[in-house]
Amino acid sequence: MSNAGVETLPKKEVNILKGHEGAVLAARFNSNGEYCLSCGKDRTIRLWNPHRGIPIKTYKSHGREVRDVHVSPDNSKIISCGGDRQIFYWDVASGRVIRKFRGHDSEVNAVKFNEYASAVVSAGYDRSVRAWDCRSQSTEPIQIISTFSDSVMSVCLTKTEIIAGSVDGTVRTFDIRMGREISDNLWQPVNCISLSNDGNCILASCLDSGIRLLDRSSGEVLQEYRGHICKAFKMDCCLTNTDAHVTGGSEDGLIYFWDLVDASVVSSFRAHSSVVTSVSYHPKDSCMITSSVDGTIKVWKT
Amino acid sequence: MDVDEEDFVFYGTPIEREEDITTRKKKAVAEASGQLRSVVPWKQEVRDEEGRRRFHGAFTGGYSAGYYNTVGSKEGWTPQSFTSSRKNRAEIKRQDIMNFLDDDEKEELDNRSLATSTQFDTFGFTAAELARQQVEKETKKRPSAIPGPIPDELIVPATESIGVKLLLKMGWRRGRSIKDSSATLLKDKEARKNFVASSADNKSAKSADSELVENDTEACSYSPTDDGGIPKSTPVYVINPKQDLHGLGYDPYKHAPEFRERKRARMLGTKETNPQKPFSVGDGLFGFKSGRIAPGFGIGALEDLDVEDEDVYAPGYDFEEFQIKEIEEPSRPMIENVKLLGNKESGFLSGFKPASNSDYQLERYGPPDIPKNFVPRHKFTAPLDVGNKLSGAMPPEVPPPEDNSLRLLIDGMATLVARCGLLFEDLSRQKNQSNPLFSFLFGGNGQDYYERKLWEERQKHKDRNTLQLNEQKFQSAEKMTAENRGRILGEKPLERSLKNSATSSSSADNVNLQFHLSDTFTTPISFSGPAEVVKPFQEDPAKQERFEQFLKEKYHGGLRSKDVGGSSKMSEASRARERLEFEAAAEAMEKGKRVSENKDPSRLFGDVLPTTGLQFTSGVLEQVKIGKEELVKESKLPKREEYPWRPSSLLCKRFDLTDPYMGKPPPPPRPRSKMDALILMPDPVAAAVVEHQMMPVGNQSSSLQAGTGDKAEGFVTEDIKVDAENIERPVDLYKAIFSDDSDAEDENNNPAVPGEDPEEKMEVANKTLNRLIAGDFLESLGKELGLEVPPDVPYPENRDRGMPSGKDSKIAYKGGKDMEQRVNDRSSDSAGGGNLMVSEMRQTGHEGMIHWIGRSNPETSNPANGRKMAEAGILERSGDENIEPAATKEEKKTKSATHQHNNSGSDSSEDERSRKRSHHRRRRSYSDSESSDSSDDSRRRSRSEGKRKRSSREKSSSRRHSKHHKHRHRTSSKRNSHYGSDKEHRKAKDRSRYKD
Repeated sequence: MSNAGVETLPKKEVNILKGHEGAVLAARFNSNGEYCLSCGKDRTIRLWNPHRGIPIKTYKSHGREVRDVHVSPDNSKIISCGGDRQIFYWDVASGRVIRKFRGHDSEVNAVKFNEYASAVVSAGYDRSVRAWDCRSQSTEPIQIISTFSDSVMSVCLTKTEIIAGSVDGTVRTFDIRMGREISDNLWQPVNCISLSNDGNCILASCLDSGIRLLDRSSGEVLQEYRGHICKAFKMDCCLTNTDAHVTGGSEDGLIYFWDLVDASVVSSFRAHSSVVTSVSYHPKDSCMITSSVDGTIKVWKT
Repeated sequence: MDVDEEDFVFYGTPIEREEDITTRKKKAVAEASGQLRSVVPWKQEVRDEEGRRRFHGAFTGGYSAGYYNTVGSKEGWTPQSFTSSRKNRAEIKRQDIMNFLDDDEKEELDNRSLATSTQFDTFGFTAAELARQQVEKETKKRPSAIPGPIPDELIVPATESIGVKLLLKMGWRRGRSIKDSSATLLKDKEARKNFVASSADNKSAKSADSELVENDTEACSYSPTDDGGIPKSTPVYVINPKQDLHGLGYDPYKHAPEFRERKRARMLGTKETNPQKPFSVGDGLFGFKSGRIAPGFGIGALEDLDVEDEDVYAPGYDFEEFQIKEIEEPSRPMIENVKLLGNKESGFLSGFKPASNSDYQLERYGPPDIPKNFVPRHKFTAPLDVGNKLSGAMPPEVPPPEDNSLRLLIDGMATLVARCGLLFEDLSRQKNQSNPLFSFLFGGNGQDYYERKLWEERQKHKDRNTLQLNEQKFQSAEKMTAENRGRILGEKPLERSLKNSATSSSSADNVNLQFHLSDTFTTPISFSGPAEVVKPFQEDPAKQERFEQFLKEKYHGGLRSKDVGGSSKMSEASRARERLEFEAAAEAMEKGKRVSENKDPSRLFGDVLPTTGLQFTSGVLEQVKIGKEELVKESKLPKREEYPWRPSSLLCKRFDLTDPYMGKPPPPPRPRSKMDALILMPDPVAAAVVEHQMMPVGNQSSSLQAGTGDKAEGFVTEDIKVDAENIERPVDLYKAIFSDDSDAEDENNNPAVPGEDPEEKMEVANKTLNRLIAGDFLESLGKELGLEVPPDVPYPENRDRGMPSGKDSKIAYKGGKDMEQRVNDRSSDSAGGGNLMVSEMRQTGHEGMIHWIGRSNPETSNPANGRKMAEAGILERSGDENIEPAATKEEKKTKSATHQHNNSGSDSSEDERSRKRSHHRRRRSYSDSESSDSSDDSRRRSRSEGKRKRSSREKSSSRRHSKHHKHRHRTSSKRNSHYGSDKEHRKAKDRSRYKD
């Protein structure tokens, strides 16, 4: 089974998306995988067609580096956040900022839309997770969650939950339906969290160069993936579209693929000349984009 | 005269005669020059420069303006005809200032603006501009054949500049150079060459045009159409010939002119400037300290450079060096390479000379010189890892020494050294220098055997290590395959309950798990090793035995009885001494293993614990610590905790979920620290106690119903509660702060207490003291946590006689059966009140209160308790609310005398207590004490009333009073809830505004 999977891993470089000046901090597919968004140190957000390798639009308004970006499921809105402590709510077509959400006390690390793009959840260096309303004119947060004891690096949303990983070593799940908070302490600074496609597991990348697979129902660590270097930078990890492999970047510019079950490094190859900041996997196909500090975004296919 | 005039030739314009000037004007001029100063001020007239009198004086017409003080003119004033702007918008004439200006003013205005005279328009620009304007005007007037604006090139100024005119007069003709022709021709060619080669970086916008022009000039130098005529024979750009390999017209420094300077500096061939230190452009602009800023962008001028602006991703090398490198740069070394090649193969290329010194040099370093006496071996004072590194070959087998004890000692020593490293050997060598038993360490008796044994032990140790590693691997693999794989594949786990119980239990699980883990990873042999081997108390076998037992317990934990090895025969003091001795010995043994380990907590704990009965020594800690090396990762198992969390209703709405807390009071806030948890968290023990407490109340009521009418009965229940109190610390702390008021007061009001002996007094005094200390502690803790410390918990305070329920029961004994009914009534009433109060508290969202309420909620079945709590709640929440009606305050004043009397009537111990109480009150804030005082007083009054006259009438009145109290509470709580709902309502309104 795993052998069959290895062949379908995207290891061939198809396109290089160049345009960012300086480091690219995040690259994300949109919900159907046709387009991708990237953001970087040059304070811009760029919309690309990764399959044809062409830039489509550039969104400029951030005052400092843009750290995370997410596109709404209907592809009409973009949410982005960054070092200027603000969250920008963009209109994709016009490229204008619809709203700015201010309130974080320091840099905002991650931001996500909810399922209906009616709310936005952001995670910041100020140890808080904040939810913002996209529907009303209000720019005040709907809710501030400040149970973290260190910078919150990453946030994931399901239909009913907010999941956030923090440098304090915890992955906290806020179940809105049940009204409870579940805190899983991994004892290692959590860099990035990513949901499995079936929603049963969380992949948590820790700063001890280990990616951990967390069972959401029991809180157990099911597996630990090692081999890469992840000690200082905010780097993404994710599962492949089939949930058969785990992929993630390394600080030396390599991309790693692990087998989900036995945690063996299935494949690793040099993708970038510098830190791989972000990996994003196509929701359906075997296609992946990676972004790096070297200023490029690369599109990988089988 | 006429004839004369005919003969004369007049030059210039004649000066006007003075007579010609109108007297009026003359006067004005004279006035302006100040010649008419002789006239007294009131006779002077104000005139304008024309000499007209404009100002007629304030009473004779004021200032005259316009045409005889009219707006119009001589012809009359015609108002502007009204034109509707609706239809002909385009025709609306803008009002201009020129419309309102007089002629002279217009002239003035014109004079102010500068205009170039066409006369001095040397280059014809102005003329061209004018012509262009003219053409534009014309095209506007009549339709042109060419639509749109006419290109500039087609428009030629009609006039010639004065320079051209002059040149023409001097004999110059169009299309000719001004210079002499031969020289011009030559120079022209040169210039052209240069121009072609010139670098684009100095090209101005004009040069593009001039290039064309010049080409024209060159192509047909005598063409008469060449109007640009004057050849610019020495263009400025020749100074900087083009030397780079950029395309024509490409300016690499277009947007970064600061680099041009830099390049020029380099082009000058300043080899002496240090190439390692390129002057940073950034230095001048921003003054970066680190210089490691993200490439490509700076920050705003008004922003400071923060830490985060630095390029965290920057690798070790310098980016700036990178940027300077230009495209043509690599070409040079390439050429040189070719040259070198040519050198090697066939001498030199034609036209080339060998460079005297090439800057292309690869520095090579030879291997370092190794000193002659260098020994390529490292020496360590102590091996880092003994187990993995087996030193040397195996020593020959040596028969063990005859002395059994020596053999044992050597065996043990070897085991220890193998386990703990050579450091231990060194230590013991130091320690036992004089000890003849340890002579084998100094090359004495049994050294061979020791070495052999050591080697064996090491071998064993290594085996064990590898075994452990294997086991570890195996375990992790197994862990994966068994149940987790199923989970990964999305199968449902089999009937597995979530670990969502209290945190304490989960942490206990955790510890348990660790214990199991450590158990699996540490072999018991290794622990029993030191205990068996080192026998520091060999001279005393019994003692040694005890020591071993001690060690065993120390390392293994579990319950142990103190009667070991006949130590029961010893006195307490000697036992303690021995224990200390053991500790010291054990410590010495431990030192070899963990040199820089501080005293472990379990041992400390053991010291503190009284040595009576069974003792629990936690071996877990010890084992975990020892197993640390292996368990660095494994011990950090993920820990799951669960808390209530309240999502805001809007968030629920946005997520399209129903609010789980809809209409419910907010969940209790999370304890923010361990200390907090210690005090506030509901732990199983406390819960049990609460249950326990509920029982006595039931007992009480049952006893009442049975109608035993015995005082002893009441005390039995009290005893039970005392026990409960002893166990339940946290609530006691709260009570300690806040409840002494009430119970002291209760004591005040119940002088007829049975069993008032000095022992009890002592106890009470101690307790109060403890409470004061605890109260201080809790207060400071509360401050530190930013938590409002809730007021008095009306904990069932039965130990002292003042417990209201006790009182009630006493009354019941006297009053008979009907009182029983009353008690029940009250209990239900007050329970209701308490509940109401609880809900009120929750609605006000008072932090810190909630825990407390939640804790004491079960206790509300206690009647007096409920009431007190309600009171406390009111006290707590009202500095301003003035729940006390004015009437009761009045009453209080009148009754204060009796109250005083009451106090004085009490005995000395009560005095002392009251002093303490007042002291305690002083510590409180003023307003708080005020309100509490007042309510206290009222309560006291009611009690004293009830106490003074014990007739049933009075009782009923007191009941009424208490009912009044209750009523008050209820109304207040209702009011509060009303407030709360009001607030809710408002909030909801606010929210609805946010809704789309």
